[in-house]
Amino acid sequence: MKWWMRPLVRLIAAILLPLVVPALITGALWALPGDPASIICPPGACDGRDALAARWGLDQGALHFYVEWMKKAVTGDFGRSWTLMAGSPVYDEMVASIPWTAMVVGVALVPLVLGTVLAALGWMPKALDYVWNAIGVAPAVILALLVAAYVTITWGAFGGDTADLTKVLLGGLVLGVADGAFAGAVSGTRSVFEEEVKQRYVQIALLRGETVLANALPNVLPAMIGQMRGRVLHVLSGAVVVEVVCGIPGLGQLLWDGTLKQDFGVVLAATFAFSAFSGALMLTQALSEIAVALYVRRSPKGVLEEAVA
Amino acid sequence: MNRAARLPWLIIGGTLFLGLVIAGWMAPEFLSPPDLEKVAKDEFGQTVGGLGFFEAPPFGTNEYGIPLHELALQGASIVAIPSAIAGLMVMALATLAGLVRCADIGWLDTVLQAFGEITGALPRMVVVLVIALLLPYDYKYLLPIALVWALLASPAAMDEAAASAGRLGGARFVEALRAHGFSAGRIYLYHVVWLNLRPVIVRQGADVMMQVVFLEIALSYLALASNAPSFTHAESLNSWAELLYLGYSWILDRHLGHAVVLSLALIALTAFIAQSFRLAARAR
Repeated sequence: MKWWMRPLVRLIAAILLPLVVPALITGALWALPGDPASIICPPGACDGRDALAARWGLDQGALHFYVEWMKKAVTGDFGRSWTLMAGSPVYDEMVASIPWTAMVVGVALVPLVLGTVLAALGWMPKALDYVWNAIGVAPAVILALLVAAYVTITWGAFGGDTADLTKVLLGGLVLGVADGAFAGAVSGTRSVFEEEVKQRYVQIALLRGETVLANALPNVLPAMIGQMRGRVLHVLSGAVVVEVVCGIPGLGQLLWDGTLKQDFGVVLAATFAFSAFSGALMLTQALSEIAVALYVRRSPKGVLEEAVA
Repeated sequence: MNRAARLPWLIIGGTLFLGLVIAGWMAPEFLSPPDLEKVAKDEFGQTVGGLGFFEAPPFGTNEYGIPLHELALQGASIVAIPSAIAGLMVMALATLAGLVRCADIGWLDTVLQAFGEITGALPRMVVVLVIALLLPYDYKYLLPIALVWALLASPAAMDEAAASAGRLGGARFVEALRAHGFSAGRIYLYHVVWLNLRPVIVRQGADVMMQVVFLEIALSYLALASNAPSFTHAESLNSWAELLYLGYSWILDRHLGHAVVLSLALIALTAFIAQSFRLAARAR
């Protein structure tokens, strides 16, 4: 396989992901038994279903609905909520929820990046792996419950700004350590570097008095970026649980509420946001793989001239 | 780790898992009716929680006097089989990826890698929620969700199994064994899968088994917290999340600390079963 094949596939997948996911959901919605309009207006519970279907663009088939929805979505118009906040623009909910999720994920990345860097530098003692593994066994839902309990006991059921901030900080921390996230960051990074250190070029570089990191980093960087993408996706997945349990009004909470209420308007928009972010991560990985590959494959002219001199 | 050291873990893990399956099989279809004689009361006769382990053995009762062991058994019936099937599915896919790398079937290897890229591209919980939303009402059980989770978790397992097979030497390893006169079945099933891929495959399968149990608890807890029916089981059944939810009331000074202990013990038991299988399959 040519070196550019994998990044190219990732590039294409990254671009297609936000387009394909809403398409699949729309297709599945129409494939389900019954009329999609009956979700908004259940038979026997309300009249004028045909008029409602026409108003919501549900009367001309899945393809028409998808194309119209996507045309509006790229301009930031995600349509209106079907059942959760019936009739209100989903965009407003998205704008309100995304910063919360961004904060939670941002906090969760702190321990993950720290663990990765410390393991890469060899500063994380192996003896502590048992501790990280033991903490990592705890499911996110349990640790999130502890956070929710602590916040409720300390600030009461209604909370306030400090309670919200605490929920975000501790919730993010939970995501960073629960379900083996931190343990995975440490052990994953260490195993990649340990494999690379066995390579002859690193051993020779060490004999020349150079550092392992400077020599191994370009070669392990694609694998490290791939691992980090996996971890961010893992954190995003856990964010749904942590947000709902801790009562953080983020994108995960919105998706959960939309799922419970069968609000396809909200679910389409939330999954579009998640898939766009996942696509962006994939794009970053592909571009960094290309950059590293070009750097590693650059002409060694300068290096040779330097050696000769 | 030699066979003598691995065997006890296999026996422990297998016995506990079998116990879980039997517990699920013994689960009552419906909970006992409320019994207000079996609840904790304050000096004014008001209910303040359930009875503890020793007051109503084996695991105490909830605020309505319903024995908690019935909830634990029903929870086991929800998770035991779907988690095992999900684990087996991941093991099968990981085995396939390892064998394909050893058999040097380039196009299939590429297809499996593309499959991994696609299925691993989205946050798993997002996909699970969308699937839960799209499932017809009659299919709202844990098994379809567990299978989706297994499918989403399989790329990591397949990657690791393929990498292990690659480190083994891939097609060169198979060629070398062929030169020794071994049959294809013995090479692939015994030398590749049993002797070399087993630790990776079993560990990944055990991990997914545990994850499915935790996923069920998380989804059911979220549904309970939202006062909605769970996607993972019928309304007549109660998940282990119910115990966790009961235990949360303990913070509000209810006599339900025993529910917290029981729910955490069940979670720890699940993790211990998975760890036992991992240790039982560790490489020599």
